[in-house]
Amino acid sequence: MNKIESPEESRKKFDRIFTDLTRSIVKKDELTRFWFFILLMFIGVGLWGWIIQIDKGLGVTGMRDYVSWGLYIANFVFFVAVSLVGLLISSVLQLLNFSWGKTISRAAEQIAIATVALAGIIIVMDMGRPDRLLNVFLHGRFASPIVWDLTVVSTYLAISVLLFYIPLIPDLAIMRDRMGSKVPAWKLKIYTILALGWNGNPQQYAIVYHAVRVLMILIIPIGLSIHTVTSWLFAATLRPGWDSTIFGPYFVVGAFVAGTAALIILMYVYRLRYGLKDYFDDFHFDKMGRLLVLVCLVYLYFNINEFLVPAYKMKSAEGVHLKDLFSGAYAFLFWFVQIAGIALPIVLIRIKYFRKPLPLSIISVFVLFSAWFKRYLIVIPTMEHPFLPVQNVPEHFHHYAPTSTEIMIMLFSFFTSIFIISVLAKFFPVITIWEYAEEKGIDRKYFTEKS
Amino acid sequence: MNTKWKLFLIATLAFPAQQVLSQDWMVPSDHTALTNPSEYNLENIKKGKELYTRNCQSCHGDPGKNNPLALLPLPVDIASERMHANSEGDLFYKITTGRGVMPPFESTISENERWKLINFIMNFKPGGNQLLVDAPPVKVKLLASVNENKSTVEILAEREDAESTGLENAPVIISAKKTFGNIELGRAITNENGRAEFTIPENVIGDEEGYVSIVVSMGDGYDAHEVALEKAKVGKNKVVPRLIKGEVLWSTNNNIQLWLLLSYISAAGGAWLVIGYAIYQIIKIKKLSKSS
Ligand code: HEC
Repeated sequence: MNKIESPEESRKKFDRIFTDLTRSIVKKDELTRFWFFILLMFIGVGLWGWIIQIDKGLGVTGMRDYVSWGLYIANFVFFVAVSLVGLLISSVLQLLNFSWGKTISRAAEQIAIATVALAGIIIVMDMGRPDRLLNVFLHGRFASPIVWDLTVVSTYLAISVLLFYIPLIPDLAIMRDRMGSKVPAWKLKIYTILALGWNGNPQQYAIVYHAVRVLMILIIPIGLSIHTVTSWLFAATLRPGWDSTIFGPYFVVGAFVAGTAALIILMYVYRLRYGLKDYFDDFHFDKMGRLLVLVCLVYLYFNINEFLVPAYKMKSAEGVHLKDLFSGAYAFLFWFVQIAGIALPIVLIRIKYFRKPLPLSIISVFVLFSAWFKRYLIVIPTMEHPFLPVQNVPEHFHHYAPTSTEIMIMLFSFFTSIFIISVLAKFFPVITIWEYAEEKGIDRKYFTEKS
Repeated sequence: MNTKWKLFLIATLAFPAQQVLSQDWMVPSDHTALTNPSEYNLENIKKGKELYTRNCQSCHGDPGKNNPLALLPLPVDIASERMHANSEGDLFYKITTGRGVMPPFESTISENERWKLINFIMNFKPGGNQLLVDAPPVKVKLLASVNENKSTVEILAEREDAESTGLENAPVIISAKKTFGNIELGRAITNENGRAEFTIPENVIGDEEGYVSIVVSMGDGYDAHEVALEKAKVGKNKVVPRLIKGEVLWSTNNNIQLWLLLSYISAAGGAWLVIGYAIYQIIKIKKLSKSS
C-alpha cells in the first residue's frame, strides 16, 4: 500500500484490473446468449403460469381454506432471507473494518437488490386480485404487520439500490472514459448519464464515502426489521409452531445462513465465468467459509431453542405439529434441512479443505436448498394444524401440495432474480474497480485518465 | 335336543335374568310398613305437584305420558303399575335414599314435603281415587297491543266458542322476545270482561334503541296461540360494549394507538429522510462535477 510505484507501473496495474473487472461487461459469447435465452424462457413460462392464475383465480393453486399460505409465502420468506446478505456483507463487515468484505460487497448488493425486489413481486403474485393492490396502500392499517412489512421491504430495496449505485459512480466514470468502442454506444450513454459528470475531485470522493457510511448505518436497523417483521407475520398469530418469542432473531440468523451461502455460490460463478481467480481468491472463500460456520452455529443454537423447548412440553396442538416434523409426514424434509443445512456445514467447513472454492460452493448449494425447504417447513405444516379441528371440508382441504401453476410461478421468481443479477453483471463490474485499485495502492489520479 | 339339554340351556339363560331380578330395589321391611302422615287431600296433592314439577319431572316426565328422560335404567312413570307396586313407605324410602342415577332427596326435600310428593304420586294410583284431575285445556283467542306512551300491554282473552265471551280470571304471561328465547316479564289476571292490563317494568332492557318485542301467551290449561307484538319502544337502551372501542393494537386506523402511529411514522419517516439525504448527496456530486 505504502510502496510508491512508478506511473507506468501503476497504469499497467490499473489497466489489468480494469480489463479483468469489466470482462463480464465486454464478454460476448454463445454461452452468454444461451444463458439469457434460458432465463427468459423460464421467466416466460412463469408469466404464463401467472396469467393462468389471474384468469382462473387462486383455485389453480393447492391452497384452500386451511392452508392459505403455500409455496408463495415460503418462497417470499426465502427471498427476504437471502436479501439480508446485503446488510451482513456490505454494512456489518465494512463497519467492523473487515477489508476483505469490500471485494465481495458489490456481489452481495446485487443479490440483495434482486431478491428483495422479487420478494415484493411474489407477494403480488400470491394475491387473488392483484388489481386491488393499491387498496393495501389506501386502506392499510398502521397496526398491521403486513403494512410494516410493506414499508420495510420497500425501504430496504431503496437503500440497497443506493448502496449499489453510490459506490458505482466512480466506476461509471472510469468506464465512460475507458470503454470507448468496447461497448455499444447506448451502453456508453447510460454510463455517461449515470456517472453524473464525475471528475474525481476529492470533494466528490468525500461525499461518496460519507453517503455510503450513512447508508451502511441506516441499513442495519432496516435490514434487521425487514426480517424481524417478516417473522412477526407468523409470530403475531396464535398458531402451533409460530407462537414463539424468538422468531425475530431466529429468522434473522437463518437469513444470514441463506444469504452467505447464496453469495458464496455467486462468487464461485463469477470467479469461474469471468476469470476472477485473483479477485475472489482462496482467501475470500476461506473467510466466507468461516463466516458460514459462525452463522450456522448461531442458527443451530436458535434451532435447539425453537424445537427443544416446545418439545419438552408437547402442548397438545404444538405436539401434533412437532410430531409431524420429527417423525411424521415432514420428518424427512425436517431432518434433511437440519443436517444438510446446519449440522454438516458446521462439521465440514471447519476442515480447511472444505473452505476451498469448489467444495465450499457445493456445500453452499446444499445450505441454500435446505434454507428454501426450511421456509417451506415453517409455513405449511403449521397451516395444516389449526387449533380448531378441520371439519366438514373435502379431503383435499386437509393437506397441501403445490400445483404445477404454483411451481411455474415460483420458477419465475427464481429465474427473474437470477436474471436481474445477470443483467447487473452485464452492465456493471462485479467488483468495485476504484476501491479495489485503491486497495492495491494505485493513486486515484490514474482512474480518470483517458485511455 | 333332549330335555336335559333344554333344562341346562334354560338354566344358563335364566341366570343373567336372575341377576337383573336380584337387582330389585330392596326396601327394609320396617320402612315398607310406614304410613303416610300427610293427609290425602287436594291441597296436599297440589303442593306435591309443585314439588314434582320442580324436582322430578325433568327425569320422570309427565304423569301417564310415559315420556321419561332417556337414562339407564329408565325413570319410572309415576302413573305406572310398577310405581304403584310400591307401598307409600317404599316410595318414601326410595325417594329419600335414591339409587344410581336417581338422586337421594334426603337433604334437599324435607320429610314433610317428601310425603306430599307421595300424595301426588298416589293421585295417579290405577283404580285409585283421583282428586286432582287436569281439565281439558280451554281454547282461547288472545288479542294484545302495546301502549308505548303508558308503557303497558293491553290484553283481551276470549273463549273460542260461538259467543266469544271474555275469559274471566285467567293468568296471562307477558314476555319479551330475546335472541335465545322469551324472558317472562310478569303475569296479569283478566277481569270479568276478559281484559287485562300489564305495566311493563321500567328496567326492561330492549335493543340498542330501547325497542322490545313483547310476546303474550297463556300457561298450562289453556290452548291459545302466542301473540308476538311488533317492536315497541318500551325498554331501556341496551348498552353494547363496542369491542374495538378505544385504542387497541388490532383495531382499525380510527382507533390506532398513538404510540404505535408515532413509532411507525418516526421509524419509516426517519428512514426515508435519511434516504432523501443520500439522494441529496448524489445531487451534490453532480453539482460538484459542473463547478470544477
Ligand atoms: C336425575 C333424574 C331423576 C330425578 C331428578 C328423579 N328421579 Fe326418580 N328415578 C330416576 C331413575 C333413573 C330411576 C330408576 C332407578 C333404578 O331403578 O335404579 C328412578 C326411580 C325412582 C323411583 C323408584 C321407582 C321404582 O322402580 O320403584 C321413585 C319412587 C322415584 N324415582 C321418585 C322420584 C321423585 C319423587 C323424584 C323427585 C323428588 C325423582 N324421582 C327425581 C331418575 C330420577
